[in-house]
Amino acid sequence: MRKVLLMGQANVGKSVLFNRLAGAHVTESNYSGTTVDFAKGRMRLDHEDVEIIDVPGTFSLEPKDRAEEVAASMLKEEKGALVVCVIDSSKIERGLYLTLEVIEKGYPVVIALNMWDVAKGGNIKVDAKKLEQILGVPVVPTVATRGEGLKELALRMKNAVPADVEKIMKNVGVKSGTHN
Amino acid sequence: MELTIDQRWDLVERISKETVEVGVYEPSLKDALADVTVRPATGIPFAIAVIYGFWAFFCEFAGTLFTDGFFCKIFDGHWLPWLQGVFAGTPAWVFNIFVGDPLADNCFEAFGVLSSGIFLAIGVVLPAIVAFYLIFAILEDVGYMPRLAVLVDTLLHKIGLHGYAIVPTILSLGCNVPGVTAVRPLETRKQRFLAIVLLSVFVPCGAQIGIMEGMIPGLIGWVFLALVIGYFGVGWVINKIVPGESPEILMDVPPYQMPTARNIWAKLWTRTSKFLTVAVPFVLLGCVIVAVLYITGAMDAIASGLSPVITGVFGLPQDTAAAMIAGFLRKDLAVGTIGMLAAGGMTITVFQVFTAVVLLSIYFPCLATFALMIKELNWKETLGALATLIVMVFVYGAILHLIGLSGIGSSVWVPLE
Amino acid sequence: MEKKLSQMKYEEKGRIKKIDKSLRAQVAGMGIREGKDVEMMTRQPIKGPVVVNVDRSNTSIGLGLADKIIVEVER
Repeated sequence: MRKVLLMGQANVGKSVLFNRLAGAHVTESNYSGTTVDFAKGRMRLDHEDVEIIDVPGTFSLEPKDRAEEVAASMLKEEKGALVVCVIDSSKIERGLYLTLEVIEKGYPVVIALNMWDVAKGGNIKVDAKKLEQILGVPVVPTVATRGEGLKELALRMKNAVPADVEKIMKNVGVKSGTHN
Repeated sequence: MELTIDQRWDLVERISKETVEVGVYEPSLKDALADVTVRPATGIPFAIAVIYGFWAFFCEFAGTLFTDGFFCKIFDGHWLPWLQGVFAGTPAWVFNIFVGDPLADNCFEAFGVLSSGIFLAIGVVLPAIVAFYLIFAILEDVGYMPRLAVLVDTLLHKIGLHGYAIVPTILSLGCNVPGVTAVRPLETRKQRFLAIVLLSVFVPCGAQIGIMEGMIPGLIGWVFLALVIGYFGVGWVINKIVPGESPEILMDVPPYQMPTARNIWAKLWTRTSKFLTVAVPFVLLGCVIVAVLYITGAMDAIASGLSPVITGVFGLPQDTAAAMIAGFLRKDLAVGTIGMLAAGGMTITVFQVFTAVVLLSIYFPCLATFALMIKELNWKETLGALATLIVMVFVYGAILHLIGLSGIGSSVWVPLE
Repeated sequence: MEKKLSQMKYEEKGRIKKIDKSLRAQVAGMGIREGKDVEMMTRQPIKGPVVVNVDRSNTSIGLGLADKIIVEVER
């Protein structure tokens, strides 16, 4: 069965998003050999049942504690997985950092710009369309707590593709091949 | 293609420059509150108020409203008489195991699997657990926990932990099992070992607190004091002797947010149902074992075998051995056992009750917690934890015994009705 | 004027100038990096941690770690 990994930093509403997407079939599991728990569920994706996993929150793929270690190794083990990167729209930069790490490793990615309402309230405007053009992966604004944007997110998951880092760099004017 | 940290940040900044427009930010009430609750001068009084409110709600909701006002009436008035009727014709040993003392008029003293066992699990412990996890989920969802962690970091770092350890510690006040699970954000093995040992030993669970609240409301403050002293004292010692690093806190402090009912319900449900599946079988099993030990006379043999320690070192009545054995399975059951023994005629002083309850808390983590400890620690660490336990129980027990010799609390304890 | 992050006063503002190598990867994901503006939000007593604000995010940092971050502060 195909797998969908929800990845994101702590406190970006990742678990709420997960509970909305996974619906009723959620089970808690234990990452083997540890006491780190994670939730698993099912969802429909493109006429197919897929497994959706709520990966423990992590700030980057360079782990600094046990939960982050598990997050990094779960990603590593699920080579064929689709990754939904959940970003706090009011803190885009931090979210993009982790997203780029995932993209660099070659995973097909969809971005959920969550907490869209919080960003608005904080006077932050994000051009989701442009972000999508630059990164070359689907970008969907969401408000998980109210269920907004989730249908579109689920719909666009099937468009997830691995992005090309060099292309992204070119899109924002970094000459490719240069090293620092 | 993989980037270096600097290359990646450079890229992130270029992307965000093209796609993000940051306007003027007007701090809201939320931000003001965020500030006030993390600044020491205002945050510490606030934290104390929160914890007091937590406690008051816990006692009111779990103890008075549900256990006394609702479950006691149902269990004593309907469940027990019904059980006694149903089992009336069965052999004495069956009656003893399942219903308990035929003369008992309340579930607290009957001591049968289906009377006291079910009553403890559902009537006393469940409301306590629900009340506890409800408030915890709200505090968590609002985003208060990281601020509390910052405030207590100063203190906890002195014993080699960091502020985040307050979360598993408080969680353990509900049940030690999720508490042990929650140590994962601590960074090093040493910190996790330290946290697991301290919380499984010195943090009484909600079940136990629920029973203590009902049985010894006047002593509970002293029990907590003894446990807090142990938490920090033993923590300090372990921190000195266990090798390994204790890195400092490095933690995101998120803004406050409105809690959502959906989130709170989800957390409350997962934790409560996990508790029910883990704890209830142990409570019932504990009742069966204790009942069987009594009926076969094995309890008397064990009690007299342990009496040099229990009477000699700890200064407790010999019969409390029964409670100690129950405590391997469940702490709530063990504390309840003391009450039942006293109600059944055992003479015990107020100070001895205090000593027994403190020792019951620390002498061994309950079986469910122990199983989880083994999973999280390697065998060397597990042996270390056990050695720490044994030494500590003897030292603590002996110290309490000495204090007791001074004559405080030497009046005979009368169980509450 | 340059000083350590750990020496910044309450409500003082500055810009991060240098982060010790041992710490860079750890704080990178949290948005703390060289060139960023930083404000001291609180300092806890008796050598407790500090809370700093970078890009509207608050991060709590132990005093020893904060020693490893050099900040240029406004006068």
